[in-house]
Amino acid sequence: MKNLIKSLCVSAITLVGSQAAMASSHREAPMIANDPLADNTDLYAFRSPDDPNTVTLIASYVPFQIAHGGPNYFSFGENIRYEVHVENNGVAGDDITYRFTFTKVNQDPTTFFNIRLGKENLKTSYICEKSVNGGAFTTVATGNVAPPNIGARSIEGPAGLNTPYNTLWDNTITTATSGEKIFCGPSDDPFFVDLAGVFDLGDLPRQSGMSKDGLKCLNVSTIAIQVPIASLQKNGQPVSTAVNILDSDFIIGVWASTSRQTIRTLNTNGTTSYSGPFVQVSRIGMPLTNEAIIPIGMKDEWNSRTPYNENPAMEGYFTNPELGLYMDNSLFGGAVPAMAPLRIQRNSLQSFDFGNTHDGLWPIRASNGGVGTALDTNLFGNYLLRQGQPRSVDLLPIFYTGVPNLAPYQLATGKGGNPLAVGKPFINNFLPIFGDMLRLNMAVPPTPRNSPDFSSLGLVQAAVLGLTNPLYNTTTNLDTIPNMDGFPNGRRLEDDVTRIELQAVSGVVLAAIGLWYDDYTAGGPNPVTPNLISVLSYNTGVSANDTTFRTGFPFVQTPWRGTGACSGKPYNYTQPAILAPTPSTVGITGLATSAVKIGAYPNPFANITAIKYHVATKGNVAIYLYDATGRMVKTILNESKIAGDYTVNVDASALPSGSYVARAIMGTSSETIKIVKN
Amino acid sequence: MFMVNLSKTKTPLIKSVLAACALNLFSGFAQASSHREAPMIANDPLADNTDLYAFRSPDDPNKVTLIAAYIPAEIAFGGPNYHSFGENIRYEVHVDNNAAIVGDEITYRFTFTKVNQDPTTFFNIRLGQQNLKTTYTCEKSTDGGINFTTIIANGIVPPPNIGARSIENPTVGLGTTYESLITSSIATASSGETVYCGPADDPFFVDLGGIFDLGDSPRQGGAKVRDGLASFNTHVICIQVPINMLQKNGMPVSAAANILDADFVIGVWASASRPATQTLVANGGAPTNAGAWVQVSRLGMPLTNEAVIPIGNKDKWNAMTPYMDLDSLAVFGNYFYNPELALYMDDSQFGGAVPAMAGLRVQANSLGAYNFRNGGDGLNGLVGNPALVGTALDPAIFGTLLLPGAGKPRSVDLWPIFHTGVPNMAPYQLATGKAGNPLAAGKPFINNFLPNGGDMLRLNMAVPVTPRNDPAFSSLGLVQAAVLGLTDPTYNGSTALQFIPNMDGFPNGRRLEDDVTRIELQAVGGVVLAAVGLWYDDYTVGAANPVTNLLINTLQYSTGVEANDTTFKAAFPYVQTPWRGTEVGM
Repeated sequence: MKNLIKSLCVSAITLVGSQAAMASSHREAPMIANDPLADNTDLYAFRSPDDPNTVTLIASYVPFQIAHGGPNYFSFGENIRYEVHVENNGVAGDDITYRFTFTKVNQDPTTFFNIRLGKENLKTSYICEKSVNGGAFTTVATGNVAPPNIGARSIEGPAGLNTPYNTLWDNTITTATSGEKIFCGPSDDPFFVDLAGVFDLGDLPRQSGMSKDGLKCLNVSTIAIQVPIASLQKNGQPVSTAVNILDSDFIIGVWASTSRQTIRTLNTNGTTSYSGPFVQVSRIGMPLTNEAIIPIGMKDEWNSRTPYNENPAMEGYFTNPELGLYMDNSLFGGAVPAMAPLRIQRNSLQSFDFGNTHDGLWPIRASNGGVGTALDTNLFGNYLLRQGQPRSVDLLPIFYTGVPNLAPYQLATGKGGNPLAVGKPFINNFLPIFGDMLRLNMAVPPTPRNSPDFSSLGLVQAAVLGLTNPLYNTTTNLDTIPNMDGFPNGRRLEDDVTRIELQAVSGVVLAAIGLWYDDYTAGGPNPVTPNLISVLSYNTGVSANDTTFRTGFPFVQTPWRGTGACSGKPYNYTQPAILAPTPSTVGITGLATSAVKIGAYPNPFANITAIKYHVATKGNVAIYLYDATGRMVKTILNESKIAGDYTVNVDASALPSGSYVARAIMGTSSETIKIVKN
Repeated sequence: MFMVNLSKTKTPLIKSVLAACALNLFSGFAQASSHREAPMIANDPLADNTDLYAFRSPDDPNKVTLIAAYIPAEIAFGGPNYHSFGENIRYEVHVDNNAAIVGDEITYRFTFTKVNQDPTTFFNIRLGQQNLKTTYTCEKSTDGGINFTTIIANGIVPPPNIGARSIENPTVGLGTTYESLITSSIATASSGETVYCGPADDPFFVDLGGIFDLGDSPRQGGAKVRDGLASFNTHVICIQVPINMLQKNGMPVSAAANILDADFVIGVWASASRPATQTLVANGGAPTNAGAWVQVSRLGMPLTNEAVIPIGNKDKWNAMTPYMDLDSLAVFGNYFYNPELALYMDDSQFGGAVPAMAGLRVQANSLGAYNFRNGGDGLNGLVGNPALVGTALDPAIFGTLLLPGAGKPRSVDLWPIFHTGVPNMAPYQLATGKAGNPLAAGKPFINNFLPNGGDMLRLNMAVPVTPRNDPAFSSLGLVQAAVLGLTDPTYNGSTALQFIPNMDGFPNGRRLEDDVTRIELQAVGGVVLAAVGLWYDDYTVGAANPVTNLLINTLQYSTGVEANDTTFKAAFPYVQTPWRGTEVGM
């Protein structure tokens, strides 16, 4: 145990790198599940890979948007405050708040189509307001939301908007007066998770049948904000001034929310009025908190709170998590076979029991072993050490305070077998506001997305490298280890947070800092035991998004198209040929008294000829063009005309050369003329 | 003047020569009837009434089955809080059986309650306990919605069909089969109706993506058509009612004078209402609801609010009852007289811009005289003509509702189909036997006339049931019955009232199988006008065969999605078991 961990277990690492997922907060609480417009589904915060002087914040709303959800396609809602909150100084209360409000107008209320003839209904625009240090909100941007990606006829077609969708989408990116880049609009849902499996009593990965990404092919409404780090840092400092890559002064906590006015009044004429103060109805900080940690009886309340006024009673869901029941053979572990690889330490170092309701590291307090560490009662020990609440040392701070770069929260590398000793730094996102937020240390360099080292396992992968890779595991020096910029240090779009959190519930963070799994004997040579490998290899079966991400802002992918492969179950169907109108059967006499006469010039012609016709009395005139086999190839005209002489140009450029017949029909008479395209 | 000419023209009964080609093209293919159809209700899925069906029960013809569907596009794996009916909503199914009395004769009201049996878990079902477990009360009013009597208390809504672990597993789940959960939730009301409330496969089918991309249905350019509702669930309220309970005088169907007995017509509509005021509370507690109930969603005829009412008036339409429609004719009438869809079936308008609908062309010059294109006069020129005497268009009989003036061409077909039903009178009889004069008596094929002026699904309960396994059964419903009545020698030799298969189909009520998207698009394309003898423009007056190419084009028109993505059950509640969360997805 005194040896730094050797790389003999590199095989574990290769198991870790690829694959599996859970909707982070989609329909996660009973009330908000019934108010999709205000349902905040995900939140991301990461240092921008293409512009490392900025951080990108992405909040997603409105779950499960089917791309073909017409005639009234999905978008943000009116009368809702969509907010992204940033805390940066450790004093409770937002230091920066972005507030978005949306307005819809119908450009053509006479149609049931969403887009027609260049007009768009439910056309959505927004105002972005910003508040700094709790001050008044001022408008920093106004912008447009791209239309729904209905289909080629509505978007690119001449009867639609006549513009490529990517152009429409890119054109909505705007720059705020305060310097942020902003995008609000529809996108692919970047999250991925086997919803069906996980919520069928934890069947993740599925024990029979294929794992499936339940968010595949679905869109979401995204607010993306790219902010210069100097605007987020508490003292306005650029990232170049960070003293090191874990500089405590560069930590932000991010959360997002929606609020509605308290009183909604339905009017009998089909309109709705809103009044009263705004009340928060949805929030998200860390992914999956309200989905898989808070039980159903408390979910609605959780959505109503902020990180600054958490209900202390809810801490128990972190210190004794329900998911922990399913990773413990003395509880329901046997009833959830899918999670069999995940087994919580019940006897770590032959001393510590992290099973639900057991004492975890609490005994250390009695022996005053926490002195000099974060567990010191003079530091944070009273918060982190709780009898009968074993996960107060790992899950609670990961969600509620962030993790400081202090023992015991350093990798076991260099600890000489003592988890409380100084080890190798790997995280510092400590921002001791006792509330659920996504915490990001902005000083940590981004891992390039195309780097072979990039891993959706985020910080778990960084820990594995720091423990086992000889590049990193020989000293306790602060090194830049790939994926230290990953979840739970912020959250990148690619991070497989479902897998990471399930691994965390099963004790992977405890193991990383030297509280090894039960099958490691204290003092033994190699702590990378089968139990640890089993946890690291655990995979939900859905480990990546169903499409790519973009390399530049807003990083999320353009939304699925309503007419694409995601728009329903396909059937083969061959439309019958459209038959030409049955020719008149009245015969010669009809022609002799024809109400319509027809001619053409030039004839033969190249591409365009002019058909001239004479109308004897008011009525409907139809002129059709037939090919040599009698098949109708074009309707030239079909409209009512008063008596007179007319000319209509026929563009035959799309037709092959050859002989054609143009037939003019009026009432019971008709007349034909042969024309030739050269 | 034109009528005189026609009466002199001897047109034989239509021969069956061309029937074969037209008929064989009819089998094979869908649009959400009212899914997310209006801006406001699209944001309130729990109260979104998506479809309504009313049909004589194929396995029990003494009863009619009413099915109202709510909550669109439910994803079967939408956990942890799976879809179900909402609390504080009145879900109602309304029946009018007597146009002389304004308002419902029967109203069924359903209200739902949810309970968490184990609030300590985030799972929906665990260890035999179910969260958000839903029960309902069904009340019935027979006095126009004034007094309600509870006819089912503590009715059970089956749980979501999550997966085998949650449902069948005896250790961790409920330890039962899903089918038995459905069967055991079917209740019999104290008043005699059979009732099911719960999740089901969405029985509707439609290429949403294609049709709402500016009418690209069927999709052009070789693209596959797609059922946009495949694999989605919905929540259904199914009520099976003895016909004598629905008939205005309590008569059983055996007492019907004939299969189109006017005394057996009902109008059905469904709705959802919420209390006027909802107040959110600051701690995430249940909102308080107060005030009068306000209707937020309704459905009678399929697709009315989806593809007939334009966006500017959709929310208002949802807030009205059918009994208010007549008073709003000045606003809403024109959407039927000059429907937007007809613009796309007219070469002088936007017809050229919607190639998918090239097979549908509204008559501009029917019989050389009548223009039914938007803005045309339709039959309005006949006003004052003695030829109208004794027909349904006679102002002495039904006033001016059917011929309200110039420039309202579809007042004779689309408006009454949606708002009054169609009487068994000339001109609303098949051209068979009319000898070329559309205003003459012809062969009866429909009578669902209940002239209250409101959008309802109207069903003549006396029409016999077409067995679902009959080779003659067709999802084209009444359009197919019309085709047979015009072209099949079994039916087209006389004007006698005969049962023609599918006379029990849409728009005479609506069966689960009926391809209402196709039928309604054909109707906008003028197929009903043609059926009564107002033939397409390429028919030469006096010619022997009115089944012209333009009629064939219309009849062949299909959206390509002609059937549901799964089967229906042979018995109540007919809708199929909901898709299982773990068995769908990509």
